Amino acid sequence: MKYAYHPGNVAHSGSPEVAESMVPLVKSLGIELTYLDGATSCGAGIIRQVNQKLQLTLNARVFAQAESLGLGILTPCASTAGNLSEDLFLLKSNPILLAEINEVLLKTCGLKFTGDTSVNHLLHVIVDEIGLEKIKPMVVNPIDFRVASYYGPNIQQYGFCGDDDIYDPNYMEQLVQTLGGEPVSWDSRTQSVGAPSLLSEEPTVLKQAASVLNDAKSEGAQMIVSACNLSHSVLDIYQGKASQRTGLRTNIPVVHLCEILSFALGHYNTRYAQLRTRVLVIGD
Amino acid sequence: MSDSRSLLVLFGSQSGNAEALAAKFAKQASGYGLEAEVADMDGFDLTSLSGRKRVLIVCSTWGEGEQPDNAEELWIKASSAPSGLLDGVNFSVLALGDTSYELFCESGKEWDDKFEQLGATRLVARVDCDVDYDQISQEWAENALAAMAAVDGEGVFHEEMVLAIKESMTSGATGASGEDGFTVPEIKSESISAEISIFRYDPSTSTTGKDTWVCALPGHMSILDVLRTIKSTQDGSLTFRDGAVDDPTTAISINGRHVLPGNLRLESSAPLRNGGISISIEPLNGFEVIRDLAVEHWDLESKRESSKPWMSSVTRQGLNTPQGALGSMNPLIASKLHSMMDIHSYPILHASSDATAYSDDYYGPSIISQSWARRNDPRTAPSKKREIEQLLDSPSGIKAETDFSSIRRQGKGSFIHDALLDCKTSTLARDGFTGRHGKHVWWYTFTIKSSGRVNDSVLYRQVLGPIGLFGNLFSGVTSRMVLGFTRTGGNMINDMLALIAPPAGLGKMPRQFNSSIKNHHEVVAIYNEMDGRF
Repeated sequence: MKYAYHPGNVAHSGSPEVAESMVPLVKSLGIELTYLDGATSCGAGIIRQVNQKLQLTLNARVFAQAESLGLGILTPCASTAGNLSEDLFLLKSNPILLAEINEVLLKTCGLKFTGDTSVNHLLHVIVDEIGLEKIKPMVVNPIDFRVASYYGPNIQQYGFCGDDDIYDPNYMEQLVQTLGGEPVSWDSRTQSVGAPSLLSEEPTVLKQAASVLNDAKSEGAQMIVSACNLSHSVLDIYQGKASQRTGLRTNIPVVHLCEILSFALGHYNTRYAQLRTRVLVIGD
Repeated sequence: MSDSRSLLVLFGSQSGNAEALAAKFAKQASGYGLEAEVADMDGFDLTSLSGRKRVLIVCSTWGEGEQPDNAEELWIKASSAPSGLLDGVNFSVLALGDTSYELFCESGKEWDDKFEQLGATRLVARVDCDVDYDQISQEWAENALAAMAAVDGEGVFHEEMVLAIKESMTSGATGASGEDGFTVPEIKSESISAEISIFRYDPSTSTTGKDTWVCALPGHMSILDVLRTIKSTQDGSLTFRDGAVDDPTTAISINGRHVLPGNLRLESSAPLRNGGISISIEPLNGFEVIRDLAVEHWDLESKRESSKPWMSSVTRQGLNTPQGALGSMNPLIASKLHSMMDIHSYPILHASSDATAYSDDYYGPSIISQSWARRNDPRTAPSKKREIEQLLDSPSGIKAETDFSSIRRQGKGSFIHDALLDCKTSTLARDGFTGRHGKHVWWYTFTIKSSGRVNDSVLYRQVLGPIGLFGNLFSGVTSRMVLGFTRTGGNMINDMLALIAPPAGLGKMPRQFNSSIKNHHEVVAIYNEMDGRF
């Protein structure tokens, strides 16, 4: 199983734990990754606000790189998966636009994209391609907690979420169960936490984040597992501030899907021990 | 149903016209000796088509050549289906559309091509209908049903029989029974096991909670009928807005999907898991709850009123027509404006943004899209356009939207999402990238040009400024960033070092400087080619 790897926007900065845990994780899962060393940020839905064709061209360049390798793209970040999927869909469904973008690509990079690649989030590769039945015997450290799975809105769109349901997904809940955890049923799992506007609309974003965190706690979750690098760091870093602004209880450990998977498969035992301690200390 | 004479009539419908026609043709099919079954594309299992011998498709087109809501998911599946899947299937397509749109009957054309690509055999050529479709659709049905009736139990088409079948129908036919010429057959499904959780709110005690019913109900029952049934048989205090199937004020949220409950069948409301479905019914978010599922729409309408949505028109040159002087409009602009304004429920559009519930001032996507359409309407007076731009550029305007992806995922959100994105682009250009919004977007885009990667440190510094950074220091944001707190990556000692050994970039502190990606010059070249502002 081979993929071209896009680590996501903030894996090199704000969420290094995601990039780190991916390394041993993919080895255990039997996934061979080819790093897209020349890949740019996906734009995070921000560049397209100022110039949509600029973001499309940057992402078409990434698609062309993956296409030249004959590979689909794999990313652990829901925001990146969503943004890349959106642009890929646009390019594939509009030949006139694709020709226009290819003209720029050829002129600036000597590249051409024909539409022959795909964008895949790690979660969908695990459930749809690898199969949960193969994960189960690999579990060394059961995640024996009540876990709230956070998807966010980016991948829960038509055509972006594998065979999972857009509005009522359960891939991550199935995975949590496979890892020995108890999935928590909660309503906010596909709600946005406003990550693209964290710095510009902070008061609203803090309320959105507080609402999501509080919902998970209210439903008895001991931790949140996020499929998104960006939302993952917002939900963690801004917990205290969100609580100060809203008065809601927001203290709960937030880890990324890659981390919890790597722990369950026997990697980073010390970190997992720290997480277990934090769950006990932070829990009500 | 015996497979030897079975006919499937599959419909993709936005406003109900295609569904009504499908039902009508299914009724007529019995006259041709066929046992018809009507199926909604929503939730339809594509692979189940492979065993079929006869399939008729009635599909409308929405907006600019888009599939109707209920057909979108099936279309995506069909797009990736293997060729040969529909070998042995005989089919014909009736496409509904509107010639005032550039892409006329596009959805029907797509299904027609797709079925052929997947190996099915077209017995009768596709017919494309304009808005006045009664006669032409009936002519298609008579040809298509006669052809389907000439397919035997083995799936072999006997072309020589078609004429005879038609003649026998015309000679003996006196019209279908029923007051209006035909009787629409009911679409029925088996009972399914459903776990239905409904949000409850009692304003007298200010208490909230959820009530759950586990029951078996017919799959074809609409969610509105489910609510009516629960109210009449289980709990008379259950409160929701009742109304016609297309009444926009009846909108509710089901598993986070905003819908008109009269338009959604129970079996299509959630995926079937473990032999049943589980739905959580909530009031629309972004509205004040009056009681249970009933929400107050006044706040939205009050905001709409304050946005002054009325037309102030510019004097335009008219065209001399036999009916007198009439205004005219470029068809492309007319089509785009029509799509922007063709909203079946403004409350649903308002709720599609996850930000509306958390920002009292934000006008929301419903009012913003309406204003944006008015702004782009060539009939609008220049002074009115400037007034609208002030509203759109204000803190309560499009800048207050925190995440466009939440709008995109709701129903027909894709078109509105694109329109709102254009609106934001226009606002940012007018602002000249000032203020937090302008700086955020500008610096984000600029840092990508600089190295190919986003630089969080630069973003924080440039957007928040010294006061904002200082505030983060005391609100716990910086310390959580340094310590990683609940996150587990990196070595904590490295994070601590970031405090005493700047530049940051160790542990989980964002880096001050990014290393450039491979072939970074290509990125710079793309920027230089496409946007000289950066």
